[in-house]
Amino acid sequence: MRRRRGRRAIRIAKKVATHAILIAACLFALFPIYFIIITSFSTLPIAAITAHVLVPSPSHLTLASYHTILYSLSPSFTSLLTNSLIFAGSAAAIGLGLAAFTGFALSKFQFPGRRTFVYFILIISLFPGFIMILPFYLMFAKVGLIDSYIGLIIPYSAGAVVFSGILVKNYMDSIPDDIEEAALMDGMGRTQAFFRVLLPLCLPVLGLAAFLAFIGPYTDYALANVFLTADPTKWTLALGLYNIANTDTGEQNYGLVTAFAILMSLPIVAFYMAFQRYIIGGLTLGAVRG
Amino acid sequence: MTGIRLENVTKRFKTDTAVDDVSAQIQDGEFVVILGASGSGKSTILRIIAGLEVQTSGHVYIGDMLVDDYEPRDRNLAMVFQTYALYPHLTIYQNIGFALKVRHVPRPEIDRAVREVAARLGIAETLERRPAELSGGQRQRVALARAIVRKPEAFLLDEPLSNLDAKIRTTARIELKRIHSELNETFVFVTHDQAEAMTLGDRLAVLSHGRLLQFDTPQRIMSDPASQYVASFVGSPEMVFLEGNVLMMGGSSTFVDGPVELPLRGLGGPGQITVGIRPWDVTVWKGPRVGGLPGRVTGVERLGSSDQLFIDLLPRPSGSSPITPASAAPTVSVRALARAYDHGVGDSVVVELDPDRALFFDSGGNRLQSVSASNHPA
Amino acid sequence: MADLRDQTLLYRLRREWPAYIYLVPTIVVLLVLNAYPIAYTVYISLTDFGTGGRGSLLAYHYIGLTNYYLAVTSGASVSWQLIENSFIWAAGSVALFLLVGLGLATVLNQQIFGRTVYRTLMMLPWAMPAFITILVWANMWQYETGIINALLSEVGISPVDWLQHPTTAWAALFITNVWLSFPFYTVVFLATMQAIPKDLYEAASIDGAGGLSKFVNITLPFLRPTIIFVGLMGFLFTFNNFYPIYLITSGGPGLSTQIFITESYKDAFGLGGSPAFSTAAMYSVIDFLFVLVITVVVIWTTDLTRNWLK
Repeated sequence: MRRRRGRRAIRIAKKVATHAILIAACLFALFPIYFIIITSFSTLPIAAITAHVLVPSPSHLTLASYHTILYSLSPSFTSLLTNSLIFAGSAAAIGLGLAAFTGFALSKFQFPGRRTFVYFILIISLFPGFIMILPFYLMFAKVGLIDSYIGLIIPYSAGAVVFSGILVKNYMDSIPDDIEEAALMDGMGRTQAFFRVLLPLCLPVLGLAAFLAFIGPYTDYALANVFLTADPTKWTLALGLYNIANTDTGEQNYGLVTAFAILMSLPIVAFYMAFQRYIIGGLTLGAVRG
Repeated sequence: MTGIRLENVTKRFKTDTAVDDVSAQIQDGEFVVILGASGSGKSTILRIIAGLEVQTSGHVYIGDMLVDDYEPRDRNLAMVFQTYALYPHLTIYQNIGFALKVRHVPRPEIDRAVREVAARLGIAETLERRPAELSGGQRQRVALARAIVRKPEAFLLDEPLSNLDAKIRTTARIELKRIHSELNETFVFVTHDQAEAMTLGDRLAVLSHGRLLQFDTPQRIMSDPASQYVASFVGSPEMVFLEGNVLMMGGSSTFVDGPVELPLRGLGGPGQITVGIRPWDVTVWKGPRVGGLPGRVTGVERLGSSDQLFIDLLPRPSGSSPITPASAAPTVSVRALARAYDHGVGDSVVVELDPDRALFFDSGGNRLQSVSASNHPA
Repeated sequence: MADLRDQTLLYRLRREWPAYIYLVPTIVVLLVLNAYPIAYTVYISLTDFGTGGRGSLLAYHYIGLTNYYLAVTSGASVSWQLIENSFIWAAGSVALFLLVGLGLATVLNQQIFGRTVYRTLMMLPWAMPAFITILVWANMWQYETGIINALLSEVGISPVDWLQHPTTAWAALFITNVWLSFPFYTVVFLATMQAIPKDLYEAASIDGAGGLSKFVNITLPFLRPTIIFVGLMGFLFTFNNFYPIYLITSGGPGLSTQIFITESYKDAFGLGGSPAFSTAAMYSVIDFLFVLVITVVVIWTTDLTRNWLK
């Protein structure tokens, strides 16, 4: 039998330890982000960054880097941003549609060959995607789709199809069959029931799938580099960032690089904040289902 | 307002047969209950009628129309699911009106119809809420409203009361019956609860292992069951069964099970048969009776509205009957039901079985219609 | 809908054919953009395409398994390094992911003040584009200009040349990788833990179980499928996770942190001399084979997909 007083002390200690651990985890998580943010408010070269970050003094904070990025970049930041949004947005939309259809077919139909199909797509998705850059390039060059919007959007859409499709399937599995049956009895065909009843119920996992389908293409450098060789007006943010980071300007003014990075991250973080509930919900339900 | 006809409907899976050659004609406006245990095929039949399952062979008619090739959406039937299957992301108003919206019914008309049904079922104040906020009883009524508002050819109900609390279930039952008589539509109701079936159905279809055993009014199923299974399934508390032999002596046949001896009429020859008698046809006396059987009370159940006694009959003393040899007969137990008993466990009683009310079955469970018992040897 | 397992093939086809229509776009995409390039890559691995000298972009020859043969003979040391490193990278990372994820999830599973705030803050690394954050980490690990060394000096520890020695290079890589992924694992484990019925714990308390016993006997068994699933996913993802290694150590020092995919990239774009695309293709194929075998083995032995496909 433990004594009351002793137990109370233990409880307080536990609470303190808990918060200490969580605070430590948050510091760990936020430090690099703090680094980026602080550095972006400067125009210092890489070598001098460190001291600035550790002891930031308000007098040294400046918006100069942001100014340069937004107004003096060539190609312009706006153009880079627009391109990235077009590419990633279209790819996300297409990828989402593909994932939704695939998940629906795998979850609510028991068609002959279903098992084989699932194994097939799982195996295919295991192949390291990187190496396919060359086949892609050759294929698309032959059809003349290099340096074009469509040309890049197509491979981007394929990126998350299998994973997102499985995610949607898992989530749909947890929707009871009789809701779909009730929709059928109410006078809908299976397609109508899909769009009007099942899909709205899948919003969390669709949010997650959209987020994943967007982030891949938005941050991609490798494929964009190969596909968008000649025409700077079509460059994406990732290309722009790499460009800055690897030039002398970048080394001289690390603030530029980090300011660019922050600006580039804003849409993503905004998207995440807005749909946080859906994304985390989709994560937990999609992944918990296993 | 139409009847439903099943013609030799069979549903076979690779390993077993869920529905085995079922034929039935459900009359227009009737309240038919499909009664059976789990796995008896009752839900499968309902789903075949609805079009959610396709039968392996046989035909389904709604009215005079052959609907075998029709999708559920085109059969104009409404279904109430056991889990209610309400759309979680829509309000109650939208849930009820959804089918109408799908059919492009004009908005004002949807509004009128939904509110009317909601008021009728007492759920008008829930219209703006979501299903998750409602109680089980309310959700059940929403499921019902959703079906009613469509004015379908017939209503299919798949154990809609099974998920309700016992108390609410009785009120819901009464309400359902009332709605049926108001609407005057065909209802096909599936359940495993024989009390529910007895109180609700105009006619009951008793199913076992996919086979339709009997399709008749509740009264006739009670008094004239088609098989031992039906007799045991319907009626609560369960029928008392005595398994024994038929002995022939001279020209007369007598059923013997331990101390129980019943002269029989209408039986062909010797063999094993089962006698069934309802507990309420078993009378219990305190003192000796002519033709009564002594026994001892082994259990008492006081249910409030009635009492049930469990009684072990004492073996006959050897030589007390010309028919029964000296016996090492196994104990024969019976149950008796009455409004109230003041007997207790261990009491000695005398049991009397009413031979006119006894039913007879052969060893395969089939009903022996022509056999009856008499108090006097033939 | 209905359980159609027991029905004949014809019945299932007649009823479920719309599924094929829904899958047509995906099938087309997968065939054209996945299956075909894979086949093409495998084919290339059997040629001398791009290996400076013998074959070039315009003229290449089919040489069968020569590349593979070379990989296990003259290139054996490289191949071994790649195998070893890829496994260290994947297994080590996943082990850390699981530990940190489980630990933080356990801590977060209590009723604490500000839990949502903590969770939101901790998710930030995951929400930021990895490409960017990895670049930042690469910078932080620099010997002279990196902030980590600066911080260490502040505390009195002498700066470490992280990227010069294999051990410290791996340490840097693991720490970065944990930073990138721990939010995901924490959230998933936390969600699973919260789905465990509370009365199991209460019953255990009454039976006299303490905290550790409850964790081992209730929490862990419930988490087992999730652990296996995300563990496998994490392993496969990390095994072929290009950016951290490429951007932070470039496979160095030497080849001590080089994994299959980074070596593949190096060969494909000629960063280690002349382009050798067929070698790159070969490494990709070998990579794929390893990953495939591991996946099959894990799924088989843990019966992970038993009830998944009805």
